[in-house]
Amino acid sequence: MSAGAPGSVAADLLVLGGGLAGAVAALTARERGARVALVRRAPGASALSSGGLGVAWDAEALPGEALRSRRGWLESARRLAARQPEHPYAVLGEALEALPAAVAFTARELGALLAPPLERNRFLATANGAALGCALCQRGMVAGDLLEVPGKLAVADFRGHLGWDSRLVAGGLAAFAALGGPEPVALQLDLFTGPGQGLLRPHELARALEPPGAAEEAGRRLREALPAGAGAALLPPVLGLDPAARVPERLASAAGLPVAELLSDVPSVPGLRLQAALDERLRAAGVELVEGAVERAEGPGEPLLAGGREVTAATWVLATGRFTGGGVVRRGALREPVLGLPVHAGGEDPAGPRLHSRPPAALTQARCFGPQPLLAAGLRVDRDLRPLGEDGRPVHPRLLAAGAVIGGHEPAQDGTGLGVALLTGWLAGRVL
Amino acid sequence: MPDPAERYDVVVIGGGVNGAGTARDLAMRGLSVLLLEKADFGVGASGNSSGMIHGGIRYMLSDRRVTELACRDSGYIQRIAPHLLFRIPFLMPLASRGEEATLVERATWYATEVYVGTYDKYQPLKRGKPSVRLSAEETYALEPSLRPGLRGAVTLDEWGIDAFRLCALNALSARAHGAVVRTWTAAREVVREQGRAVAVRWQDALTGERGEARTAAVFNATGAWSPAFARRHAGAHVPMRPGKGVHLTLDRRFSNYGVICTAVDGRQMFLMPHETESIIGTTDDDYYGDPDDLEASNDEVEYLLEGVESLVPGVRRARVTRAWCGLRTTIHAYGPAEDALSREHALHDHAAEGAAGLLSISGGKLASYRAQSQEAADRLVALVGKPVRPCRTHEEPLPGGDEVPDPARLAAEYGVAAPAAARLVYRHGSRARAVLGLVRDDPRLGLVLCRDEAILAAEVVHCVREEQVRRLQDLRRRCRLAVGGCAGTDCARVAAQLAGRELGWSAEQVRAELADLLEVGWRERRPVLDAHQLVQEELLRGVQAGLGVRR
Amino acid sequence: MSSSRLSSLAYLAWRAVGAQPAKRIAQEGTGAERFEKNYAAEGLVPTTDQDRKVAEAASACVACGVCEARCELMAATPHVRALGLHTAFRLYSKSTTELPWAREALRACESCKGCESACPTGVPIGRVIRQLLDRLERLPAPAKAGRREP
Repeated sequence: MSAGAPGSVAADLLVLGGGLAGAVAALTARERGARVALVRRAPGASALSSGGLGVAWDAEALPGEALRSRRGWLESARRLAARQPEHPYAVLGEALEALPAAVAFTARELGALLAPPLERNRFLATANGAALGCALCQRGMVAGDLLEVPGKLAVADFRGHLGWDSRLVAGGLAAFAALGGPEPVALQLDLFTGPGQGLLRPHELARALEPPGAAEEAGRRLREALPAGAGAALLPPVLGLDPAARVPERLASAAGLPVAELLSDVPSVPGLRLQAALDERLRAAGVELVEGAVERAEGPGEPLLAGGREVTAATWVLATGRFTGGGVVRRGALREPVLGLPVHAGGEDPAGPRLHSRPPAALTQARCFGPQPLLAAGLRVDRDLRPLGEDGRPVHPRLLAAGAVIGGHEPAQDGTGLGVALLTGWLAGRVL
Repeated sequence: MPDPAERYDVVVIGGGVNGAGTARDLAMRGLSVLLLEKADFGVGASGNSSGMIHGGIRYMLSDRRVTELACRDSGYIQRIAPHLLFRIPFLMPLASRGEEATLVERATWYATEVYVGTYDKYQPLKRGKPSVRLSAEETYALEPSLRPGLRGAVTLDEWGIDAFRLCALNALSARAHGAVVRTWTAAREVVREQGRAVAVRWQDALTGERGEARTAAVFNATGAWSPAFARRHAGAHVPMRPGKGVHLTLDRRFSNYGVICTAVDGRQMFLMPHETESIIGTTDDDYYGDPDDLEASNDEVEYLLEGVESLVPGVRRARVTRAWCGLRTTIHAYGPAEDALSREHALHDHAAEGAAGLLSISGGKLASYRAQSQEAADRLVALVGKPVRPCRTHEEPLPGGDEVPDPARLAAEYGVAAPAAARLVYRHGSRARAVLGLVRDDPRLGLVLCRDEAILAAEVVHCVREEQVRRLQDLRRRCRLAVGGCAGTDCARVAAQLAGRELGWSAEQVRAELADLLEVGWRERRPVLDAHQLVQEELLRGVQAGLGVRR
Repeated sequence: MSSSRLSSLAYLAWRAVGAQPAKRIAQEGTGAERFEKNYAAEGLVPTTDQDRKVAEAASACVACGVCEARCELMAATPHVRALGLHTAFRLYSKSTTELPWAREALRACESCKGCESACPTGVPIGRVIRQLLDRLERLPAPAKAGRREP
């Protein structure tokens, strides 16, 4: 792929950003035969993933509505687009209908880690005993889908570790029994009771379950503790760091019933797995990885300097994320740091670009829960994902944006973040 | 049904430093006391003060006996809570307008040196260090972040304190001496009969439980709420000119030394290290809004940053984690600019207004809370008319104040990390042993919840069991949960889980408490969401949404 | 003018012409030496530009914990591991008065730099730890720094 000066890279497509949107864009373009270089400073926010990938949930469902009668993620996304015209789902117009293809592509590419999607959301439990609808999730979480548990749901924590509380989770999940979920039963596994084990961090617990015999021993303990009629078991999200260690499968086989992980908060073992899987897939697919911060970038066609290497490509996809990824920064005013593109906060307001320097209080509301324009700040794009300049026209015909760098939605909060990432990534990767 | 036997000598309303301090004093003198706080200890002006136990240097010009008394009282507070205080050396830079300092400027510098040098006379009363006059070169060696062109500095020694814990410890001490202490319980009505306040009706905001406490005296220590309280319940008048004071917090100690700066309007302000953070303060503007509805404005944030920036240009690169405010309950005076108003306190007896037995306090300052409380207690004792023991609040340690254990030895003894032991000793004094005893009995409680403050699971459990924690947000004030830059990103969930288990919360309650914690912090973070703190907010919101925390 | 104010002013005037000059003559050492004597033992030492620069970089930490999975700290005791080197920029770097307690943890770092490439917000973790170790060495000898005697 490389040509010219040593260390320099020539590619058809340059992707900036190491998160899910960038990876999907790169993999999509690779599948179509393009030469792809991906420049990344650090792992994206994907390493912070809970293990479930939300596309959209049924925000219009009534509180007491049965889980099974709730709308699937595609229909929920359509309705969201109708409600929120500034959301990327709405901006993309008919391209939103590509969502199933993008979701299926992502599930296939990361097939070793992610389970194939259903048309409906899977309802997965959090460590606080809530349930969230996810279009995609890691394979080790599927058995915890509240609509798939054949019998009672055994919720387990570790006797030696206070990180998770099965009574809290089971108590919360009991509310879903009336909505078609299983009857939860809390139990405690006699695990991690050795000296110092109560202090272990999630990734250390995960590694401790990997060696031969460890997952099997945990499975045996689980079997001994199971209540009659248990159809599946839910455990803390630390069932092995390396998917190849097959901890959930080994544990399930020793326990004699399917097991699943809770969704994770940070630090997130499922997030680390997702990041590793993305890395592995990008390398296997032949994407040229350039590690390092962008030192010089002028735009598509011009050489970009990052990590001491020069990368040249006629088409660029900006998938640098939002604040965590560094795709949008604020130091007194909102700014897109790579190319200096105008950043919008405040939704559809035609004064959008001028809002970028307004104080935080003017771009937020006093109540924490609810839409916050400052946290929904980002680039505006046209239907073809091209970022718009101050004049409302695309900045460059071969410059695209994907993922959280696109504004108009709050990816971390509204349950659509990774849906936007994989849809826009998939669409951007097909530009060639 | 109210319990007809609920009878007290004094009902104290308000869990700020005056209310808690007075309740402690009265309880130690042998009176039966009920303390009512509508939220949690110190949520008003006390906890949102600059957190200093200073010696009243400002009074040297008007009455140096006040300074002496203030220094003596600062010494008492060190005696009763030695673990909770930390030293703050201040630099007072000496500047000149031109290339050459004028004679007037030199005279002003000398006057500053003399003034602070005179204050040195009282410093031993509070274990303070003497002041030092520094040359320009020495000043820059100590604090290279100062703007160029200064001619030197004079240093000043003061003490900082965790004001929230000071309030809580006073209330807990009152409880230990027999007082009944109710948080999240509002006084709904002061019952008057024949021109006397005879009872207080209260309602618990969390359980809805109601009661009526018969009493001989009522102490209105509700701070900025007291004029409205006195008016509503007794038709009485408490003169007050509320002043809004905004502070900013930086995520770390910018320097080990505080600096005194001059704001754009000539007011004095400061940047100072405070525990593991730095504080910039403060504004002082009249405030006539609802005290429950206080939030820092963008103008106030800019005013503070600009004021410090003029002396410390690099301050804008620091991470501002939050902006918080309180209302000074300054005594009413017509005319003077806010800053010149006396911080002296006043007690108002409402007998002439048809509410005998009702006493209100206004004004005052954190550093003199003990003396103020003693004076208030004297007046209340007179109203009650019972024989009592003498005041001992200057001698008897606050809970945990009897000893400051050595963190290294504690760490070795209980097998925890030394930094965690050091934070525990700071917050809990000798009671760090009780916290660590929990770890010894159940090693799982050695789990580290917060890496900003080294908060252990055991500390959360201890606070919930021993320090009257009723809501998750109370832990912000007991052990600084979710107060740092991370705002609870990786600690709040497990802390809520542990508190919930102790207090019997359902999963819905646990999530509601987490939502409340997020909401309380949002009010302080919102005005300063920039740079790293904005990144943090994005992550925090994502994590909490991913846990199903919502309203 | 009240009598107390008059007496205060008179007293200050006397201090200016009598006591302060006498004090100046009697005191020993430079201002900086006296300042250091007052504060260094308590860990209240100056912050250099370099210290501050590293602190600013450490402030980018958002507590996501991704770096922890890359840090083995195999040489450390379980309790040091429980706090982790993550704490280096979340607690130890915030305050020199806390720093002496971090010696064991900081020395457990093997400078493998595995953590640095993992940080989503670009905290130069290795540099922070090196700087903290260096600052620790610069702290004055008494190990009692960080602790106030009652």
